[in-house]
Amino acid sequence: MIEVEKLRKTYPGGVEAVKEIDFEVAAGEVFGLLGPNGAGKSTTIGMLTTTVRPTSGTARLAGYDVGERPLAARRVSSVVFQDPVVDRSLTGRNNLDLHARLWGVDPVAAKERIEELVEAVGLRDLVERPVATYSGGERRRLEIVRSLVSCPRVLFLDEPTVGLDPFIRAELLDVIEELRSRSELTVLVTTHYLDEAERLCDRVAIMHSGKIVALDTPERLRAGLGRELVELRVDGDASVALASLRARGIASETAFSVGSTLTVPLNGHTSSEAVAAIHELGLAGAVSARQPTLDDVYLRLTGGRLAEAA
Amino acid sequence: MTEIALSPLATLSRRRFRLTVRTPRELVVPLLTPIMFALVIAPALKTALHTQASYESFVAIGTIGLLIPLNTMFAGLGVIVDRESGAQRELLAAPVPRALIVLGNLLVALAVTGLQVGVLMAVAGARGIHFHAVPTGVLWFLAAAFLFTVGMYGAAEILANRVPKQEEYIARVPAIAILPWFLAGALFPITALPDVLRWVAKFLPLTHGLALMRYGLLDDSSGLRHIWGLADPAGMAALSIGVLALFALLLSVASVRVFTRAALR
Repeated sequence: MIEVEKLRKTYPGGVEAVKEIDFEVAAGEVFGLLGPNGAGKSTTIGMLTTTVRPTSGTARLAGYDVGERPLAARRVSSVVFQDPVVDRSLTGRNNLDLHARLWGVDPVAAKERIEELVEAVGLRDLVERPVATYSGGERRRLEIVRSLVSCPRVLFLDEPTVGLDPFIRAELLDVIEELRSRSELTVLVTTHYLDEAERLCDRVAIMHSGKIVALDTPERLRAGLGRELVELRVDGDASVALASLRARGIASETAFSVGSTLTVPLNGHTSSEAVAAIHELGLAGAVSARQPTLDDVYLRLTGGRLAEAA
Repeated sequence: MTEIALSPLATLSRRRFRLTVRTPRELVVPLLTPIMFALVIAPALKTALHTQASYESFVAIGTIGLLIPLNTMFAGLGVIVDRESGAQRELLAAPVPRALIVLGNLLVALAVTGLQVGVLMAVAGARGIHFHAVPTGVLWFLAAAFLFTVGMYGAAEILANRVPKQEEYIARVPAIAILPWFLAGALFPITALPDVLRWVAKFLPLTHGLALMRYGLLDDSSGLRHIWGLADPAGMAALSIGVLALFALLLSVASVRVFTRAALR
């Protein structure tokens, strides 16, 4: 449904935002682009939605080349942008009607669809009010409803929960999950929230400095670090400590250090064996054992934490 | 194909109209100065300068030359508001040719300007200002007002897409909307200007617009003669319409190009 080949964007001034990325998203799949601000996620969405001109490469939505057939590509897709994109002085219904008309939805079908969607996301009582009176979460829900009014085949969600408080964020993720379960949408979502990616996405691509550095299901990406790992803080040189652990056969090539923190996938060892070795080597510090997360995957690949970078 | 293009155009125009009527300043503010000129300053000037009654008519048309630029520049503010509020991105992601976004704004600017010119003329008429209106004259007037409005909206759209903030946009409005008005024969014939400025005035679209509007509504071809120096009023009017048509065409094409380039990163 989404095919991206050697897509590249260099902005005037020479900033290479996206560096020849390739990926495909199957029909009905939820695909996540994961990475910190500046990784190139929004530029990628911009190129797919034809609001950013690619420097080179191709991208197709439902078979339509976004460069050669931009209108057709836009007709089969919708976007929920990172920042609020609404006419605040108009009512929620005005905003929904506008989208339906611009996307050429039959008026009768649009009316039914709007009623169904506002009911589903709990906006029925608000839809006749000017959007300026909505809270951040209500406005976000309205934007999600708006993106679905035209029954898109491809939906882009660009950081859909950024800037929202935790309660509204959780509520919105429920809404997205619910809507996803009711339709055959293909969704491309960008985020720097790991829980969001794990919860929503069938596959994720981790972006770093304009490149895709890993692409797989969240489970397989985590599995690359084994079933369990230990994390410890050391006082001295972390790379020396890491070399010592490797020499003892506790740490493999997948172990890594960032700053004073060592992350050591256990790869067949038990956590008690690893902790014992750590103490024997005099690497005392805070030690914890846990399952790998996507943050660990990202950390190993890029040397930076998503939460810190975002 | 036409139907496909007209439907989104109507939608975009309806949106702009809804936003405009929710911002009364866009409707009222551009009217204030011209009405003040037509109703207060022109009669005062007439008395002070001991001119004939026709001077009020002369200035009433001259104030349209202020109303149109002010109104179109105010309309251009909507483009910046769209960009700052983010609403423009939804329009850019819509499956409609991007030129229609500019055209939709233009149609509303034309409608609002038409309404305001109508109000100005009605107020002037109620104040006892006389116009010599015949059907062909009205057509010259409407054609000149239409083309000048289209061209000025193009200028507003270009400026709105070139400057990042409303404050910077507003700071440039006097140079575009008001300065030419003093040179274009709005308050006095351009023959009263020094030679250099008279030549400058002949190249201003507003000079052609005002001369045409006076030719149409006052049956006064002196403004056209001051520009072209010919004997045939209809011929000179055709030449000035040509100038305005070229102005409208060039600015409209440029505004679409500038909008598209500015919108696409």
